[in-house]
Amino acid sequence: MIRDITLGQYYPEYSIIHKLDPRLKLVVTLLYIASLFLIEDFYGYIIVAASIGGVLAASRVPLRFVVRGLKPIMLIIIFTFALNIFMTRGEVIWEYGWLHVTWEGLRMAFFMALRLILLIIGSSLLTLTTKPMKLTDGIESLLAPAKRLGLPTHELAMMMTIALRFIPTLLEETDKIMKAQQARGADFETGSIFRRAKALVPILIPLFVGAFRIAQDLAMAMEARCYRGGEGRTKLNALRMKRRDLAAAFACAGYLAGIIAERVLV
Amino acid sequence: MTIKVSGLSHTYNAGLAYETKAVADVSFDVADGEFIGIIGHTGSGKSTLIQHLNGILKPDSGQIWIDGIDITGKGVKMHEIRKRVGMSFQYPEYQLFEETVYRDIAFGPRNLGLSDAEIDERVREAMDAVNLDFGEMAERSPFDLSGGQKRRAAIAGVIAMRPGVLILDEPTAGLDPKSHADVLSMIRSVHERMGAIVMLVSHNMEDIAAMSDRVFVMDMGRLVCSGTPAEVFADAEYLRGIGLGLPPSTEMARMLGLAAGAIRDMDDLIDAISRMRKGRDL
Repeated sequence: MIRDITLGQYYPEYSIIHKLDPRLKLVVTLLYIASLFLIEDFYGYIIVAASIGGVLAASRVPLRFVVRGLKPIMLIIIFTFALNIFMTRGEVIWEYGWLHVTWEGLRMAFFMALRLILLIIGSSLLTLTTKPMKLTDGIESLLAPAKRLGLPTHELAMMMTIALRFIPTLLEETDKIMKAQQARGADFETGSIFRRAKALVPILIPLFVGAFRIAQDLAMAMEARCYRGGEGRTKLNALRMKRRDLAAAFACAGYLAGIIAERVLV
Repeated sequence: MTIKVSGLSHTYNAGLAYETKAVADVSFDVADGEFIGIIGHTGSGKSTLIQHLNGILKPDSGQIWIDGIDITGKGVKMHEIRKRVGMSFQYPEYQLFEETVYRDIAFGPRNLGLSDAEIDERVREAMDAVNLDFGEMAERSPFDLSGGQKRRAAIAGVIAMRPGVLILDEPTAGLDPKSHADVLSMIRSVHERMGAIVMLVSHNMEDIAAMSDRVFVMDMGRLVCSGTPAEVFADAEYLRGIGLGLPPSTEMARMLGLAAGAIRDMDDLIDAISRMRKGRDL
């Protein structure tokens, strides 16, 4: 149910992927996403799927856990799939009234769905293997050059961490409120769309009130510990590239080279 | 109304790195009109256990009968269960959402599909039970009430469903002494007036000892012992070993060398001490 949403969640393990420098992981994830839009044939997808499969195995995050995270976006995937099947022009292989399925449409739909799935798996692997704190450190450090242009990088990074940090908290809160309203006989699962939308009010209002309460508590707790933003702030665990990061960078470069070579040669 | 639970188990995140066995092979019976206290340290499985009793959580294995109906069976109408088993969660005031106290309390009865007249009667009854003045409070926003009033309004929302079983998860947590006493006397009066089974989860040993007919002790997901307060609080060392303790009055009676088993609350203790003094004065 609501606990199934894994996007933005951290999965505790002691794998090599977990230990990598967050800056490297961020850059690699961005490159990976870009690479998804470079490939356009079957072999390309094999390279991507094999690589992400390898990373997944190395991270020791159970496949089931990642797949469960796909469930909430299944609707979007199915929608894209259907749209592509029916809306692409080309060689018609099946027809019924104004509906027609083309060979190109089938191909396009399949690849689009695969691309979306690979995209979600790749980006959720980043948050699954990186603690929010480290992720922010990474973002802050990567954005450091933009500080000269007057961009409040520390504040931006902090806002992002807090947002990430609050995803599970708010999910838990939602879960609690849903249970409490269910205990009072609330029904979220049956009835027309209109009725179901109305049934959300008893969840959304307490959730909203709760979010403000939590935000206020957090602001108070941060101020009580003298948080004043990034000015002059030092780090207990400064980020340092290690040998394993170098190895991972080479692996990533190899992956990109493979993708580009496949694009050019095949 | 009766409850029978047999072999109940529940595991969170089964198969993952942080899998936790929250409830393991728990069985018990509760007779009509009984008042049950449930104690156990944080994370001992109390909350998970009680959430099964109205079908909010589904057990991995085991059965639960409420009034002879197996609620773990297929095709059971959740509606019918929630009508019978009322549950107030920890910090129930966080579930308030309506514009007025009246409408919030009416939310449960309305979901039961009752008539407006019946709903009105129940809201009045519930507000009376939790000692909120109808004339003064009914039309106020629940968000404008004090902490203790919010708590009572939220519990009234459960009571208004007239459940045969009332389950309360730490209803007094974080309340000031006055609100604490109010909530307890409200629970007592609901128990007496409606004749409902009450299951009270609390970390306050004194409340548990004073109010319960029987006490269930949970540790690491298991129901490790159950009995009258006198029986359960007789073994202080064991309770301390699992992160619990004795009610202050029982503790004091032990220190004074009195028969601690019979001491459930301050009144008992005062009686025992005055009897002892009379004995000395003679």
